[in-house]
Amino acid sequence: MALFAELRRRNVLKVALLYAVACWLILWFVDVVQAEVSVPAWTDVFTYFVLVVGYPVALWFAWTYEITSSGLKKAADVDQTQSIVYKTGQKLNSAVAVLLVLGVLAVFGQRLLPTFEFLVPGVPEGDAPASADVPADIRSLTLDNGLKIIVWPDHDIPNVVMYNFVRAGGRNEYPGITGLSHFFEHMMFLGTSNLEPGEFDRTMEAAGGANNAYTSSDLTVYMDWFPVSALETIFEIEADRFQNLETYADAVQSEREVVYSERRSSVDNDNFSRLAEQMQATAFVAHPYQFPVIGWPSDIESWTEDDLRSYYETYYAPNNRTIVITGDVTPKQIFGLAEKHFGPIPAQEPPPAVDTVEPPQAGERRIVVEASAQTPLLHIAFHAGRAKDPQTLPLSLLLNILADGDSSRLHRLLVEEEQTALSVGAWLDEGFDPGLAYFYLTLPPDGDPALVERQLLDALAAVVAEGITEAELEKARNIVLADFWRALATINGKASAIGDFEVFHGSYEELFKLPSRLEAITVGDLQAAAAAVFDTDNMTLGVLRSPDEEGAL
Amino acid sequence: MRSLRTSVFAGVAFLSGALASAQGVTLPEYHYVELDNGAVFILHEKRDVPLIGVQALISGGAVTDPEGKAGLSNLFATMLEKGAGERDAASFAETVAGVGGSLSASAGLETVSISGEFLARDADLVVELLVDMLRAPALDRSEFSKLRDRQIDLLTAAKDSDLRPLTSIYGNAYLFGDHPYGTPVGGSEASLAAISHGDLLAYYDDFVGADRLIISLAGDFDAAEMIDKLSAAFVDWRPAAEALPEIEAPAPEVGRRVLLVDKPGATQSYFWIGNVGVSMHYPQRAELNIANTLFGGRFTSMLVDEMRTKAGLTYGVRSSLQRPSKPGSFAIVSYTKTDSTVVAIDLAIELLARLRDEGFDDDLIASGKNYILGQFPPRLETAEQLANQFAALQAAGLDESFVNDYGAAVAGAASEDIRAVIADVYPQVDNLVFVVIGDAEQLRDAVAKYGPVTEMSIADPRFRP
Repeated sequence: MALFAELRRRNVLKVALLYAVACWLILWFVDVVQAEVSVPAWTDVFTYFVLVVGYPVALWFAWTYEITSSGLKKAADVDQTQSIVYKTGQKLNSAVAVLLVLGVLAVFGQRLLPTFEFLVPGVPEGDAPASADVPADIRSLTLDNGLKIIVWPDHDIPNVVMYNFVRAGGRNEYPGITGLSHFFEHMMFLGTSNLEPGEFDRTMEAAGGANNAYTSSDLTVYMDWFPVSALETIFEIEADRFQNLETYADAVQSEREVVYSERRSSVDNDNFSRLAEQMQATAFVAHPYQFPVIGWPSDIESWTEDDLRSYYETYYAPNNRTIVITGDVTPKQIFGLAEKHFGPIPAQEPPPAVDTVEPPQAGERRIVVEASAQTPLLHIAFHAGRAKDPQTLPLSLLLNILADGDSSRLHRLLVEEEQTALSVGAWLDEGFDPGLAYFYLTLPPDGDPALVERQLLDALAAVVAEGITEAELEKARNIVLADFWRALATINGKASAIGDFEVFHGSYEELFKLPSRLEAITVGDLQAAAAAVFDTDNMTLGVLRSPDEEGAL
Repeated sequence: MRSLRTSVFAGVAFLSGALASAQGVTLPEYHYVELDNGAVFILHEKRDVPLIGVQALISGGAVTDPEGKAGLSNLFATMLEKGAGERDAASFAETVAGVGGSLSASAGLETVSISGEFLARDADLVVELLVDMLRAPALDRSEFSKLRDRQIDLLTAAKDSDLRPLTSIYGNAYLFGDHPYGTPVGGSEASLAAISHGDLLAYYDDFVGADRLIISLAGDFDAAEMIDKLSAAFVDWRPAAEALPEIEAPAPEVGRRVLLVDKPGATQSYFWIGNVGVSMHYPQRAELNIANTLFGGRFTSMLVDEMRTKAGLTYGVRSSLQRPSKPGSFAIVSYTKTDSTVVAIDLAIELLARLRDEGFDDDLIASGKNYILGQFPPRLETAEQLANQFAALQAAGLDESFVNDYGAAVAGAASEDIRAVIADVYPQVDNLVFVVIGDAEQLRDAVAKYGPVTEMSIADPRFRP
């Protein structure tokens, strides 16, 4: 009891309490800061360690020393009658009370305060959007190495989406390396100097994440979907593969087989793709859009390690990429992680520009593909424009009116009324360079491609001559507007949509001008677009049929 | 043209219809109304974007198709888009597209569903169209024969295309045979040809009515108002005339048999290796989903790792569990070039044996749990997804705990229980049904080692011999 009384007298118990409260505040603070900025992962453990080790030291100090009116003295040396331990005790009580109040305020206040940004200079805020039409919480930042990052916070679900847009696709290829962009998409999962082949996927999936990727004529796009708890892990492994990719010979060889398998299923054993591949190769004689994204078979076999290496250095450099992140994050948090993980990757010389311009077509081109087919196919394509050309939106609305859904003109005419086609569809290439407006039709087993061709071309000629109705335009507007809202309903749709506009239209902000641009479009714009494109001199036509059928052309 | 790295995983992790869940994911509040005639309405207000998700289900589906008339319920569903109320087929399509909406109907094995999405400003139209489709479908004779003939030709066209979508149709048809679960939902060229306009009208009277209707809406609308409108519209609707058929649990296959579907000249073989699996009511769903995720439900699963990543035999392979109200099929589904067909099938069988012998270690199990839990929230992100989830639960006779408790069940699943579930669900390698589609001339002798072979042509107008 005497010891306890002495512990009390010397304020050791109060110091113990004060220390405990202070620890709680410090650990809480470290936790908050760690969530907001990129401090090393061991910070919290280290702090905890220091505090635990400090505890007996503090108690020993409180026992041994005493504050007196003339400064700090050893307690044993202090004259008890002169002792001011009582006053010190009161001060300690006040300090505990103040810390407790601060602690409670801080913990509850944290929900109200956005972040502790003022404490962490160094992490940039990013640029807010310029236009009032754009959601105000989007931020973008370009790192010193040229990598641009766009962040759109959305806290509905505890998940994050990361899109990595690499400006490399079929258009960056030439004979001998066709399909290399797509093969690279596979290579990016096959190991780095830090991770064995397969380790990237295992790490991601073990952290709860999933991924996929696609390659087009214009881009290679990597997509990660993951819980916010995996955020730092994803940054680590993404930065790693964009900096330290290794080409393991065994993995390269095995992956060539996988790509062959992909080619066999999606092209060689699929009549639609067989015809489309030949159409593309015929419609373009100069521009690299003529190459199949998956590559010509002989090229798939013959890329060399040097081809892979130089492609990686040039096209996967930070200045040739754009990252979009949406979901349960803050811009500050992302920019901190981006500077830490992607910042050190050096910029490279920009890739060679694709200068080849497809010369104007002077007269129609026709092809036949012979394949085992119970139902013939008819494809018809016209050269059109680039994503950012002003006539692209009117033309895409026009293709909606012509071939999107059961109410479209061509479906009504060919599938329902004439019954000369089983199905009809269309797409418009919207890329960096002028692409195609493309119609594809499946005919019944005894179908007549020549007849369907005439019916379709007459329908297009009618649009050129007479235009379309206001009601049809309104319908197309509504379809595009509904698609716009549908995209914004998910964090994945948001990432994909703002990324596409950033890459192809020069700024993500363009996406949000879509509703007003739709309003401004007139039926005359659509008719003008039709007149500019639907000219048979500008047409490539292909038929796929069984070898025993006659007279398709 | 896009070329995807992987395309087989979407939807694989959560195969029990649209039913799914995870830790920390709970279904939001909703309104539930059941009319005296049995019609059920489920409504959930969600106002983040101006959209309304629509899902209407009629219990029944392909299992009610009469013998020899597979595809009737799906034809009926598609006919709902071909005119209703005052609108003929053209103006119905025009109305939906005109407002930027989407609305389509199709049959599943055990339901007929109408799914759609509309802008919020068209809430009244949503109700009008649903009421017209269900209570006043045109079921026009000439639209019917046009549609039926086109469906037949589209099946022929599908056989000229990538055969991945058809592989499981052949697989289930051959495994289940005459059992209702062997019914090809979209019909076959032969069964569609046997369906008459009279069959269509009888189907509407017999199998469609208020007693088996569920309408689920989620999105930006006023729920109370919506309930009033739906109640007024359906309160006096009749019940279906025929009872739903009792479906018996199919017996698991003992031994082996092989179906070889000849596609002359094919450079690739598609294969399906399966047996009877489990129903949606299987009690240890969490354990099973962890096992199936690790076996063939994600990119680093055993099947993909061994067959694609290490062996380069295929671009895609998966382990599929179809889970209707009674046990459906389990299958390993993949494809490979013709001359590696036997190597790939042998490896798939070997991996199935390894799954049963060795199971998974604790690190992998932890990884599988994280994957299921981490990938779940985006599955209930939109109004349309929520509408579908509510309807699917109701149709299956399940409550919210199916979703709300699932995450904890995944997180808490014990290794030994997962091992027991593997032994219980996945077939022994001696008891397997094989379907191989490819160039029979090159495959005929080689596949005989798997069991007695039956052969048919891809051009045969049906999906089983």
